[in-house]
Amino acid sequence: MTSEPPTGGPERLRAERVTLAYGDNVISHELDFAVADREVTAIIGPNGCGKSTLLRALGRLLRPDAGRIVLDGRPIRSVPPREAARTVAVLPQSPQAPPGLAVADLVARGRHPHQSWYRQWSGTDQEAVARALELTGMLDCAERTLEQLSGGQRQRAWISMALAQETDLLLLDEPTTFLDLAHQIEVLDLVRELNERHGRTVVMVLHDLNLAARYSHRLVAMSRGAVRAAGTAEEVLTPDLLAEVFGLRCAVIADPVSGTPLVVPVSAHDPVPDTAGSPAASPSEG
Amino acid sequence: MSAPARTRRSPARPPRSADALNRPALRIGPASWPWRPRAALVCLAVTVLLAAAFLRALVAFDSADVGLAEVTAVLLGGGDPGQRFIVWELRMPRALTGALVGAALGLSGAILQSVARNPLASPDTLGIGWGAAIGAVAVIVLGGSAGGVSGAAAQFGVPAGAIAGGLAAALAVFGLSWRSGVHSNRLLLVGIAVSLTCANLVYWLMTWTDLDSAARAQTWVTGSLHAADWDRAGAAAVTLAVLIPAALAAGRALGALGLGDDAARGLGVRVDAARLVLLAVSALLVCVATSAAGPINFVALAAPQIAMRLCRAAQPPPAASMLLGGALTLVADQLAAGLFAPTQLPVGVFTAVLGAPYLMYLIVLRHREARL
Repeated sequence: MTSEPPTGGPERLRAERVTLAYGDNVISHELDFAVADREVTAIIGPNGCGKSTLLRALGRLLRPDAGRIVLDGRPIRSVPPREAARTVAVLPQSPQAPPGLAVADLVARGRHPHQSWYRQWSGTDQEAVARALELTGMLDCAERTLEQLSGGQRQRAWISMALAQETDLLLLDEPTTFLDLAHQIEVLDLVRELNERHGRTVVMVLHDLNLAARYSHRLVAMSRGAVRAAGTAEEVLTPDLLAEVFGLRCAVIADPVSGTPLVVPVSAHDPVPDTAGSPAASPSEG
Repeated sequence: MSAPARTRRSPARPPRSADALNRPALRIGPASWPWRPRAALVCLAVTVLLAAAFLRALVAFDSADVGLAEVTAVLLGGGDPGQRFIVWELRMPRALTGALVGAALGLSGAILQSVARNPLASPDTLGIGWGAAIGAVAVIVLGGSAGGVSGAAAQFGVPAGAIAGGLAAALAVFGLSWRSGVHSNRLLLVGIAVSLTCANLVYWLMTWTDLDSAARAQTWVTGSLHAADWDRAGAAAVTLAVLIPAALAAGRALGALGLGDDAARGLGVRVDAARLVLLAVSALLVCVATSAAGPINFVALAAPQIAMRLCRAAQPPPAASMLLGGALTLVADQLAAGLFAPTQLPVGVFTAVLGAPYLMYLIVLRHREARL
């Protein structure tokens, strides 16, 4: 109700005054959040601010104690799980696979919501898995086991599984954790391609603010379970907000490559730079 | 451009994609399954082994001189009354019970190991087997008073006691380890605790009672097919005819569950409900098996692991584990009955002797393959 209308298009997924808790430990109280169609939204915030909890609630992995999640205008509780799983795919933070599982067999499990007890595998499934592997560039690794992959490849294998679900919406919980910079860029380039070329709506939790600014249309900054700011990277990544959310002094300059805001942290020992406090230079990317 | 499911190789598609992925489907009418040649071959080979062991069981368990020719004649409707009695009333129920019990244990083990995501999970470690044993032994020891179990108590009391005991143990283990979901390690720890408690209670009951009941209880506790008759075989066949299809259907969720609760929920699985159904079905399978033949150790532990390695699968394959469990039990029973003839050892003694070295061989072999 109070969530501001997003810029990109009709709302696909919305959290309405949700209260999220693990047992008695309340993480978020009456939180509002909305995802617009065909946008890439990044949720940022310090450790333990409730980013992943919100993503888990959006992806049906955690049931809100109060409030509701709305998917395409329907309360998600009233959508049968299999049907919801054909619209929203979630990549949890640290998924686990049985040892010795081949990439193709992992990705094949993404077809579960499309199958039934008498139709457990079909040519359509085979094509969907092949397409997913092709998108992530993992087709050549299809017969390898997950243990034989590098960290970046493993992450792409898991993303392939979510892609094989063939959903419009993709929720990724820290898809770049444990990856070196090159592999982070690789994964985020894939996210951008999925969004721009294949029309997927993406919500991801990211730790790297500069990459979040570069690769998403909308940033949502959270702290202590509440949304502190939402909007374009320029609107959200201001020194004031960063000080409030992360408790860290920062200078914000324009990214020399993309023109998006670039956050430069300032430690207590550094002199206060001139640029701190000045807004980012350029408007958002195309 | 996803063409209808007819395509496995449609020339209109761009070159790579589906053709590059070797995961064909097997279609029969509206139904279709993944076509895994290796798993199919394993299932076929194990079925042949199972059939051969079954036939061998019909030809010779006992000292009676009824050979292959006579058995064939009896099966085709001929033979004299004596031969018919030996084949139909003595050997057939025993072979059938062995195959069914082994199949139930293999399938149950495959499900339990997948759900717990731990190869150590089995009716033996989760206390279901010993729970069933305590129910049956209690009936043997307490129900029979001085004269031993007879009549209705023997026919229904012991199996009913086994089923009640096994279900009670399963309920206790799953209930005590349930804390907003089942955690694998907690499940195993609670299971081992319940298992040891039940085992010690069984031994206490056997020391406490008279020698005669204790001897009967001992035979039952070791797991044996000597006493198999049509009542037991029939009861097992009817219940398993319901339970096995149910287990195989519910087993569809095992792939998704193997990726962890969050991923499984994301794939549209009702995780708690699916797991509860799977655990209940596998506990019932064990109870039926145990009530028919006593606790036969190791089949539920070894058959799924052997089947998994033979199929080169990442999780125990339910159907192959089931077939292998049946074959393993039948072969073990024949070795137990024949190796030290005329002394007939209980089958439970031989399942471990037969399965353990082979499983170890496979584990060592697979370790060399560098896929853990």
